[in-house]
Amino acid sequence: MSPNPRVLIAIPAHNEEASIQRVVDRVRKTLPDFELLVINDGSRDATGTILDNLGVATATHLCNLGYGRAIQTAIKYALKRNHDILVTLDADGQHHPEQVRDLFDESLNGNWDVLIGSRYIKTRNYTKSPFGRRIGMQLFSLLVKLVAGQRIYDTSSGLKVMKRSVFESLAYWHFVDFHAEAIVYLMRLGYRIGEYPITAAEREHGQSMYSILSHLKYPLKTSMMMLLGLIDANLRRRRINNERNRVRP
Amino acid sequence: MSEIGLGLSLINEASALLPLRAILVLNLLGLLFLLGVLNLVRHGRLYVGYGVIFVAAILGTMITLSVPQLLLGVTHMVGAIFPASALTLLALCFIVLMLLYVLTQLTIVSNRLTVVVQELAIERAKENFANQKTASDNSLDISER
Repeated sequence: MSPNPRVLIAIPAHNEEASIQRVVDRVRKTLPDFELLVINDGSRDATGTILDNLGVATATHLCNLGYGRAIQTAIKYALKRNHDILVTLDADGQHHPEQVRDLFDESLNGNWDVLIGSRYIKTRNYTKSPFGRRIGMQLFSLLVKLVAGQRIYDTSSGLKVMKRSVFESLAYWHFVDFHAEAIVYLMRLGYRIGEYPITAAEREHGQSMYSILSHLKYPLKTSMMMLLGLIDANLRRRRINNERNRVRP
Repeated sequence: MSEIGLGLSLINEASALLPLRAILVLNLLGLLFLLGVLNLVRHGRLYVGYGVIFVAAILGTMITLSVPQLLLGVTHMVGAIFPASALTLLALCFIVLMLLYVLTQLTIVSNRLTVVVQELAIERAKENFANQKTASDNSLDISER
């Protein structure tokens, strides 16, 4: 990687008119040397108009494709524009852009392929989370440990820093929301994934992208993709090893 | 209980006890179907949400088939008298396979639409970025002059 890597900050946004301006302003103020891209994922409120007025680079989905596909758009954009590092950040104002610099520095110094901004790595418990989320977080954290051999405490964090080699691997893999299923897939491919403590504020405006129905569907879809990701990663590793053996005299 | 009622009850209980051979064959079919569905999801040809529903339905059916008491309970619950005939089973298989085919096609079209929407968004973002850069370069030139 070059000494001055090209960094893209990607913010997926869906109906975030109340918070998007503040988030963009804070990112511009604290991280002026990073390129910023907002993915407007089919918002039906004034998010698009606000982004136009802000003059920020915006990738507008003509219809709502969901969080995972919004991240995939950011990945494809980063690949086309030759970025070395991709940082993802939530648009609801829960993440503090001021913490991104530390996370970014740690990812370079620690040579992490993926560094997750973690709300739980410090306390290592989920007592402050609502009951439903606590169960989900514990379940997926343990499943990742069981399947990939490493505990990740915050599998659903939207604040991540990843290297180009990582997002190249994910560009055409159909992950659900880039949570536990993608973490397992990447770990099994041999990437180094770590967590770095961050603090997150509560959502101030708007509503979560997860409806009541998706609370039921999400764990099932993620579990299934974890299993398939495991198979895919193992097959891919085997294919790479076979190719290497074939090349050797 | 009347004689007819007793007769029906005996038919029900006898029919619920599927022979071991039938259980094995049906479970084998279920397993093949399960692997097929997982493979389609893995290759992105079946949306994972549909995949979850299929997997749950297949596993549920396999468990019901394998536990005679459960099958008997289901037969009683839905008021069935005779076990599903081979013809009904074939018709059901046809419907499920057609459903799988339609959902696969739907997923493929949906994936193509996703790619189109993403590519359009990326092209517009690139134009957006280029315009911003030109505007900022122009303003820089004016200030330098």
